[in-house]
Amino acid sequence: MLPTIVFDDKKCDDPLSCRKCLLVCPNRVLGVGTKVGPRKYQEIDRHFFIVAGVRVDRCTGCMECVEICPKGTLKVNFPVEVK
Amino acid sequence: MCQWCERYGKGYDRWYFNPENYARKLYKIRKEEAEAAGAEAAPQAQVAGGMGFLGRDYFEALDRGDRATADKIKQEAAQAAWITHFGQVITLDDALKVIDIMYPIAVITCACRRSCEGMPDEDNFTCIGMGPGMYKWERWPDTYRGGVEFLSPSEAKDFATKLNKKGLVQTLYTFGTPYLGGLCNCDYPDCGSIRDRVDHGLRSLMKGHQVAQVNAELCNGCAQCLARCQFKALNYSPTMNKAFIDQFQCFGCGLCATECPQEAISLVERSSLPVLANEW
Repeated sequence: MLPTIVFDDKKCDDPLSCRKCLLVCPNRVLGVGTKVGPRKYQEIDRHFFIVAGVRVDRCTGCMECVEICPKGTLKVNFPVEVK
Repeated sequence: MCQWCERYGKGYDRWYFNPENYARKLYKIRKEEAEAAGAEAAPQAQVAGGMGFLGRDYFEALDRGDRATADKIKQEAAQAAWITHFGQVITLDDALKVIDIMYPIAVITCACRRSCEGMPDEDNFTCIGMGPGMYKWERWPDTYRGGVEFLSPSEAKDFATKLNKKGLVQTLYTFGTPYLGGLCNCDYPDCGSIRDRVDHGLRSLMKGHQVAQVNAELCNGCAQCLARCQFKALNYSPTMNKAFIDQFQCFGCGLCATECPQEAISLVERSSLPVLANEW
């Protein structure tokens, strides 16, 4: 079961300073990187960094990341299962 | 001998002892495609947090039970990695010999740790960039975030030794195979390479030329070695009161061997074990 992990990049504007979701995830699912693709002379301004779900196969759905975010920037959704 | 020793070793014991593999031809007018692709494999997450080669399509294939597609994606990723950017685990001894044959030596920040935990630059100088390309570091400010610090060979050896003692695995990385541009100090789960290989069997990280072996007579079951394995190859058996190494999982980094107070663990040549000789 894979989650859809969505970040509001405008609200999360300096992830390198916060790091809370990255560090709370027990399975290190999330990762931070630059939004712009690989190019020489890229901006190194920290505001170009965003967080995304990376190792999504390891997400257990604990929701610790959603709860810990001080700005409420992320949502984690799993597909609805018919019971 | 691994496939890279055969192809690029030119008679040296290991391909990474061949000095040719540290000296990219600086004045070629037209770069070969693989070399150019390797140069641009500058270690930075291309999409946020994307250290490693496996994307959502792979996870979705696994999720729906589509092993055929998942294996195909992995195979293609591994083959692309072998041409542009892949790693091989080495021992500290080998790393010290490598430091003797390449120059210049620059300490840089680790893109994997920045990606996985947002590690601040000042705490993150754990990688070594090798070779004349490092003189051009200012061309890639995003890759060399935090700057670089050039070290003398003896300073670099102290640096690698210290990180090995801390518990980090020495690995060599190509940037346009066979050009070796990086000597990293890795651990699980932050290292994208180790993570992809251990969790998914992605062969973008290859095993080393040795395998660890426990001498059961010397092992007293203290289990201190357990904390050292980043590859899930070490187990403690209460029944035997001994450490147990899964030699099919072992990458031959040597961290367990150097920790053992009884000196009960030794490294043997992978080539001396017929079944493991081609297990990379």
